[in-house]
Amino acid sequence: MKERIAIIDGIRTPMCKAGGVFKDIQADQLGAWIVTELIARSEIDPALVDELIMGNVGNPAHAMNIARVIALKAGLPQAMPAFTVHRNCGSGNEALTTAAAKIQAGDGDIYIVGGTESMSSMPLLYGPRMTELFANLAKSKTLGQKLGVISSFRPSFLKPVIGIVQGLTDPVCGLIMGKTAELLAREFHVSREEQDRYAVESHQKAAAAVESGRLAEEIVPIPVPPRYEAVQEADDGPRDNQSMDALGKLRPYFDRHNGTVTVGNSCPLTDAAAAMLVMSETKAKELGLTPIGFLRAYAYAGLEPQRMGLGPVYSTAKVLDRSGMAMSDIELVELNEAFAAQAIANLRAFDSDEFAARHFGRQHKVGAIDPDILNVNGGAIALGHPVGMTGARLVITTLKELHRRNCNVGLATMCIGGGQGGALLLEAA
Amino acid sequence: MEMPATPNGFQINITDKVADIVFDLHDEKVNKLTTPVMEEFDGLVEQLAATDGLELLVLRSGKPGIFIAGADIAEIAEITDPVAGAALSSKGHRILDRLTDLPFPTIAVIDGACLGGGLELALACTYRIATDNPKTTIGLPEVNLGVIPGFGGTQRLPRLIGMPKALSMILTGKPVNGRKAFKLGVVDALVPAEFAAEKVAEFAGHIKSAAGRKAVLARRNPRPLRRWLTQDNALARLLTAKVARRSLMKKTKGRYPAPLKALEVIRRTLGMPLDAGLAAEAREFGKLAVTPISKNLINLFYGSEVLKKDKGAVIDGKPRQVSRAGVLGAGVMGGGIAWNFTKADIPARLKDLNWEAVGKGYEAAANIYGQLKKRRKYDQREVDIKMHLLTGTTDFSGFGNLDIVVEAIVEDLGIKRKVLAELAGHVRDDTIIASNTSTLPITELAEGLPHPERFIGMHFFNPVNRMPLVEVIPGKETSPETVAAVVALSKRLGKTPVVVQSCPGFLVNRLLLPYLNEAVMLLQEGASPKAVDRVLTGFGMPMGPFTLLDEVGIDVAHKCAVVLAAAYGERMTNATLLECMCEDYHLLGRKGGNGKGFYLHQGKKRVANPELPAIVGDWRKANNICPRQFSDDDILDRCLLTMVNEAARCLDEAIVADPLHLDMAMIMGIGFPPFRGGLLRYADALGADHVWTRLSELAGEYGDRFKPCERLQQMTRNQREFYNETVR
Repeated sequence: MKERIAIIDGIRTPMCKAGGVFKDIQADQLGAWIVTELIARSEIDPALVDELIMGNVGNPAHAMNIARVIALKAGLPQAMPAFTVHRNCGSGNEALTTAAAKIQAGDGDIYIVGGTESMSSMPLLYGPRMTELFANLAKSKTLGQKLGVISSFRPSFLKPVIGIVQGLTDPVCGLIMGKTAELLAREFHVSREEQDRYAVESHQKAAAAVESGRLAEEIVPIPVPPRYEAVQEADDGPRDNQSMDALGKLRPYFDRHNGTVTVGNSCPLTDAAAAMLVMSETKAKELGLTPIGFLRAYAYAGLEPQRMGLGPVYSTAKVLDRSGMAMSDIELVELNEAFAAQAIANLRAFDSDEFAARHFGRQHKVGAIDPDILNVNGGAIALGHPVGMTGARLVITTLKELHRRNCNVGLATMCIGGGQGGALLLEAA
Repeated sequence: MEMPATPNGFQINITDKVADIVFDLHDEKVNKLTTPVMEEFDGLVEQLAATDGLELLVLRSGKPGIFIAGADIAEIAEITDPVAGAALSSKGHRILDRLTDLPFPTIAVIDGACLGGGLELALACTYRIATDNPKTTIGLPEVNLGVIPGFGGTQRLPRLIGMPKALSMILTGKPVNGRKAFKLGVVDALVPAEFAAEKVAEFAGHIKSAAGRKAVLARRNPRPLRRWLTQDNALARLLTAKVARRSLMKKTKGRYPAPLKALEVIRRTLGMPLDAGLAAEAREFGKLAVTPISKNLINLFYGSEVLKKDKGAVIDGKPRQVSRAGVLGAGVMGGGIAWNFTKADIPARLKDLNWEAVGKGYEAAANIYGQLKKRRKYDQREVDIKMHLLTGTTDFSGFGNLDIVVEAIVEDLGIKRKVLAELAGHVRDDTIIASNTSTLPITELAEGLPHPERFIGMHFFNPVNRMPLVEVIPGKETSPETVAAVVALSKRLGKTPVVVQSCPGFLVNRLLLPYLNEAVMLLQEGASPKAVDRVLTGFGMPMGPFTLLDEVGIDVAHKCAVVLAAAYGERMTNATLLECMCEDYHLLGRKGGNGKGFYLHQGKKRVANPELPAIVGDWRKANNICPRQFSDDDILDRCLLTMVNEAARCLDEAIVADPLHLDMAMIMGIGFPPFRGGLLRYADALGADHVWTRLSELAGEYGDRFKPCERLQQMTRNQREFYNETVR
């Protein structure tokens, strides 16, 4: 068996709804904040770190290789390289598993990994006709030519391309993510009421986790720039008063007439960053560091883009096969809730012999997930889903909860836009 | 043709009709224009004037980062006769005139500091080329030494770049970089430092043609209309001067005659022929050079050079470098200190009890950056990067990695000791622990710490970003290495560290509090805050004692005064009105809740507090005091001579190394007027006899606290001064 990857520490910023508290903090700033804090509190000598790997989906135009920008802003040595990874919603996982692969290949020993996302900062873009006009204007030399170009302007040119909508729309199947959830609701016959109930539970679990201080264990508060007048200490998504009534009043967002998916039973757009210090188990021992847990195995799987929500069951089946483990070995599950419909669809698929036979050629189902061990501190519907960051958060939350429950094996799995899934098997220290 | 270097380091090389002079002053770090250098230069110019066939002279420096740093300050310091001063200036004029009169063009190549006489020499050349080297600074800082430019600066600069722009350089004394100098027209070309040689050759080729010369000259005077409106007629000059004078008076309150004189000379002479103007400049230079203000400012310049080199302690090798710092307590001081670390690119970890408090520290730091951004010292990108150096915490995580921790929590011996003991358990054995205490004795604070040799006082002043002084206070067991490390760190933070020995109040507060206390005594006895403040601002203090009390906080000052009274006994007996104001009436000053103190503070406005007369009246009644009148002299002497008396005691007790360090600390710490040269220079100017007599008189009239101390008596008896301890 390959050597386990020790996760020494993992922390994250609060997760705040896009356009809200963190709207003036760019993704590189969020990432730099959390990496700076990770270095400071872990007391690691920055010169020992081989590389920084960051997941990020909506790459800001001002920070193209955002990992390098973060590394420099966080005070890591200029001699240390850094790169950004992109696996859509699984980017935060990818940062960790890429580091794992590099450690196992002998490329390096110590990595800082994580994910960052400012969904507040997704831009509005000029459409192609306006872009062309600007290009022509730049090319024209005489005043006459310039006037000619300008006179070609029509007000309709100003209709923006909305970055966030484009980003969340699959370019191959043409569906926006919410519509893929509607497809799963139909395939698995998930009713609106079931979805809303799932969402309410997510909020209740998250609110309880906030109340008990469990989430605070993984959060580093942020004094909010640019004026630093307030400190954001907690996630702003969970509502302890979320109710079926309130959710029932919302109109379906993606299919106005027959849909079941609403903004209330979907995860909100969110801003946040997370970071972890990881190294080979041997190196951790050598440095005398106590990890919070280990990455034991991982797998990514592909499927039809329009059914991307089922990524967890596909990737989990794969990682269990690889590691020779069974669902019954798993004591804690974090399954990312992009949509309540999608989460419920997964639970049904995990529990279905027929689904396993049809899609994986297995005789038996992958294995039912006990609701008592699923997303015990709430999920993305309540907490939010800063796409590039979530993968890292799932790992941190799982490891901290394994520790609290005195359990050993956990699964962090998520669906990935574009038709993929990722699953990570984690072990407590 | 290369000639051997002259004794003072001029190397001449003549090739292809171009003479190249490289100035590299022997045995000195910088090039400066001493009298021998000027004479030698004169000889060279004469020699070149007589050389046939020369077409160009290029003048440059052989020292990296320096063109010519200026005239020799020591020569100015020695001037005691205005006529001799004027003669020194006129001699320079004659030499630079001969440079100007050479029959071929001259180019000064400025790659590095080009200040004072250095710029005046460059101005006497036909053309100037500056590099974009960050070390290139160009200016006429003479007014900072209490004189005006004496080698033609008041004449050639306004004639070159126009009166308004020249005034902006000469009256402030602030140097500009190469880019700005090019923009102002002080230099004719701005070239990359790395390609200076090629670019100078290119420029030389350019000015061979009439068209090229015309283009260069056209750049210097781009706006004839504006020039006419601001300086080309007597009325315009008068108006321009009036505007400049108004802003100058606002800034200096007329305390500094040099910039005013520079303004007057420029206004008066700009319409005259050059030689008449130069003559006027020489006369005024000579007059200013002998003033005590100029002598004081020159001494301060030397003093700051001494302090720059002062390592604070004798150690082997270099002082330890701090690469990570921690700050305990995120209040105004803690936030300010954390800001200071980030400004110096030192990562700082800020700890307080909860995140709300930590957030206040962030806000304090961000506010300072906000001010700096407004003044264009930083842009948002730079501010963001600096702010990333700051991390916050509510526990001691990360403290195992810090080289120094500065404690800035509440001023209470018990609490500080408890927190310091806890802190010691979370830091490495070699971590320096510094306390920002303003009054508590360092040796007592160090008790019980596992490493008292690495414990030290590091006293910043509020507001941290504006006050340049840091008192570095070793305790009994503090090691010299720790002292040297903290002194070096303070310098890196852009501060002026002064090592003082541990005593209640240390140096600055020990002198300041009796002064403030005396002001309150005056109020108790019948003077008004407005009158006392007027007298002391008139003396040159940046703000009067009552304004200062309101700024500091009446409660804070009272607390400090109580500590000092307990420590020093009768001579620091508290003016009880102070306690009465904060305890009975809750008047705490500008920041204390309602903005009421000796004055009422509404935003930035300050008016007399209408409640005060009644409060003071009641106090007088209760204490059976009949209010009386005080002369300005009484007010001044009671406040200032109290400080002088205490300062003499500090010297006696070796609290501070010498009078110079004491004066520098007072100037940097409380803004004691620089033109006075410092508290002890002021006392020396009065004379020991006078100080002793006045203190004795005051003691007879107002109480024993004025009784001159032993040292003052001895000084009087032996005819000595603070700065000159030998017989006068």
